[in-house]
Amino acid sequence: MQRSVTPLLVSVRGLVKRYGGVTALDGLSLDVAPGVIHAVVGENGAGKSTLMKILAGVVQPDAGQILLEGRNVVMDSPAAARKRGVGIVYQELSLFPQRSVLANLFVNREPLRRGWVSTDAMRDMSRELLDRLGLDVDVAAPVSRLSIGEQQLVELARVLLERPRLLILDEPNSALNKRETERLFAVLRQLRAEGVTMLYVSHRLEEVFAISDRVTVTRNGKDVVTRDRAGLTIPEIIDAMIGAHQEDLFPPPLPARKCDAPEQLRVDGVCGGELDDIRFTARSGEVVGLAGLEGAGVSTLLGILFGTRKAQAGAAIFPDGRGLPRSATEAARRGVCLVPADRRRNGLMLDQTVLFNISQVVVGALKTGSPLFSPKEASARAARQIERLRIKTRSPGSLVNHLSGGNQQKVVIGKWLEIQPRVVLLDDPTRGVDVGAKREIYELIRQMSAEGRIVLFSSTELPELIGLCDRILILYRGRLAGEVAGRSVDNRTLLHLINTGERPTAAGSALQ
Amino acid sequence: MTKTDQAPRRALSSTRLGARSAPSARRRLRLPEEAGVLVALIVMIAVIGFAKPRFLNPINLFTVLGNTTFQGMLSLGMVYLLAIREIDLSVGWMFNFSAVVAALLMVAGANPWLAMIAGIAFGALLGLVNGLLSITLRLPSIIVTLGTFSMFEGLSLVSNNGRAINPPDPTTSYFTLISAKIFGVVPVVAIVFVLLTVALHFVLHRTRFGYRVQAVGSNPDAALLAGIPNALVRLQTLVLMGVIAGLSGSMYVGFRGAIDPQEGSDFVLTVIAAVIIGGTPLSGGYGTVFGAMIGMLIIQVIASGIIFFGIDATWSTFVTGAVIIIAVVLDQIVRYHRQRRANAQRFNEN
Repeated sequence: MQRSVTPLLVSVRGLVKRYGGVTALDGLSLDVAPGVIHAVVGENGAGKSTLMKILAGVVQPDAGQILLEGRNVVMDSPAAARKRGVGIVYQELSLFPQRSVLANLFVNREPLRRGWVSTDAMRDMSRELLDRLGLDVDVAAPVSRLSIGEQQLVELARVLLERPRLLILDEPNSALNKRETERLFAVLRQLRAEGVTMLYVSHRLEEVFAISDRVTVTRNGKDVVTRDRAGLTIPEIIDAMIGAHQEDLFPPPLPARKCDAPEQLRVDGVCGGELDDIRFTARSGEVVGLAGLEGAGVSTLLGILFGTRKAQAGAAIFPDGRGLPRSATEAARRGVCLVPADRRRNGLMLDQTVLFNISQVVVGALKTGSPLFSPKEASARAARQIERLRIKTRSPGSLVNHLSGGNQQKVVIGKWLEIQPRVVLLDDPTRGVDVGAKREIYELIRQMSAEGRIVLFSSTELPELIGLCDRILILYRGRLAGEVAGRSVDNRTLLHLINTGERPTAAGSALQ
Repeated sequence: MTKTDQAPRRALSSTRLGARSAPSARRRLRLPEEAGVLVALIVMIAVIGFAKPRFLNPINLFTVLGNTTFQGMLSLGMVYLLAIREIDLSVGWMFNFSAVVAALLMVAGANPWLAMIAGIAFGALLGLVNGLLSITLRLPSIIVTLGTFSMFEGLSLVSNNGRAINPPDPTTSYFTLISAKIFGVVPVVAIVFVLLTVALHFVLHRTRFGYRVQAVGSNPDAALLAGIPNALVRLQTLVLMGVIAGLSGSMYVGFRGAIDPQEGSDFVLTVIAAVIIGGTPLSGGYGTVFGAMIGMLIIQVIASGIIFFGIDATWSTFVTGAVIIIAVVLDQIVRYHRQRRANAQRFNEN
């Protein structure tokens, strides 16, 4: 209709991007008409962020082309993208916290007056924009003194000062409260009226519906649906996001081994960070899922259970009859283990060998056993886990950095298995792991559960939670929004709970 | 096609041999670093010896080794600190202050052997001060020890009134033994230095403490989340540095029979230089104790070699500096090529 006459502002054709063995984009195409807010939605790992990074010139695609107003362009650096009028607001803030608001707004293009950097000129140039964004702060104050929401607006203002033709917003409101979000949306609508085109990435579907004109759903690095928002419903989007998943990815539950004394982990009214009065019980032999958006409190909860974060209130009783561990060291010694979400930063010593890494807990954390470090025993440990977890490595002496993501994750799991943990906390253990290794990790989770360990499993991928967990606890903005039985819940209900904190009205009463 | 044929076979055999090949793999990765500086040291000695054969006289060579002892021992402790991503700038004054305390106790009539033990304990106390300040105040050790550098200096100068302390009667067993040379050639202090090097090498690679030092230095966040008590390990490492400084200082009193008020004030840069020349990276996670010993010998060989050539001794300081830079550059080049080789292997594997 109208789009056939207006030329496309941006057209992306068959983008492919691989990171090692992981395919982030698999022939994705996207057409963005000028003057619209175009939303891109998809599950974690569906390729949204990679697409944005390619458009912003941060990442180079392995194949495919980008057309700007019909002309083929190469965005080989962020500067090149900026020159062509592409501005991006990142999900993580990229401000200099120690420097003033003004200094941040004009990084690298400070206005000069008589050869000197002029704060007055900066003030003049930014005043109107800041007013429009409703950002009423001391522009000479360091950014670190602003609230996160205000910082996000500074970030947006910084990009807007470049007068971009295409504005990319990667979950811009993840840190904003309701009022700030509304103000942001008002600004975005105004920008649209001025002819700015926007690509809007978000998890929160209601907000996508509130702001966007057109929606593209991505899955597994491909664009699966692109339609005008007016012709779409939330359930349709959710179905497109999930697609048809292979059931056989998830191994069936193993028969639980007979354990004489089933153990329990009881969490009773824990508060701390964003968490508010969390209470639940997990028993040995079951896999309990934890679901929630970024910032909903899942990571905080795992941190509290592992002793790296303090609970402000509430208590817990662990299988050994004691309360929350006060440190990770205490947790490790009491058989509580955490597989962190960011394995390269928090789980591994990349410049050390597989052998060294598998000894992390046994040698590093425990105080039982000999004070000597025996390379022979460490070799035996490494060989044991390499065999058990089928870690693909040339030898136990290979550097962990040279392993693939899945094998690195197995090393992290292996180091904990060496101490026979009673409580296993898994924070998104399959992130950035290829499908084969995923399946192996699933099997391992089943196995640990069957051996009578208490498994708490957090994931950002719904099929995983549904396929693997006996029960799923959903956190929404720090509170326990619901609990569903793993195998009986459908994607739609779960996604709705995760995104809104409430059950969909139709399916509401049946499950509780 | 051949590549895909070979890959599984290689993977299979490596897992089968995995357990046995592990130590050899590690040696393959690590030995060259120490071998490199060792070769450099030997070449240096050979070159100087070729020009001035008198340099190769065993008495001279062992004197060089003996002269390195006191700073050399400090560099062994510094290896641990760099390996755990810490540093101690106060080593020179810990050395001096411990020596002053030991010497003052001897002056006060204490048995020199007991005074030595007290000196070591005092060094440990100074290390504990560094460690507790760093951990309780959550300050990097470089800041804390920059402060204690002057604090220890000040207290030491107060204790000795700015004058050298000369313990009475340097003919007792302590002084004669420590300054003795076995067969008239090998200084006792050099033997202590070598034994301490072997012991600390063992501690770094074969004890839980050494493992923890490397683990924390390699990735502090991951170490913490593996349950390794980071703060405790850092404290222990700083105390170890103090113990070594106390030992070095106390032995120095026995060796020289006195402690000058400024002795040790300029040690720290030489000590760190030796560790870096030896191949311990500043990035943490790894350290070589033998390397530090060899690095210290290289510095000392340069210093005495320059005297043999009749060049003004002040030039040795310049040359030492140049050697640091050359050593680090060579290390970078070696690292770069090793990395490329490793990447190539990795590529073949995938």
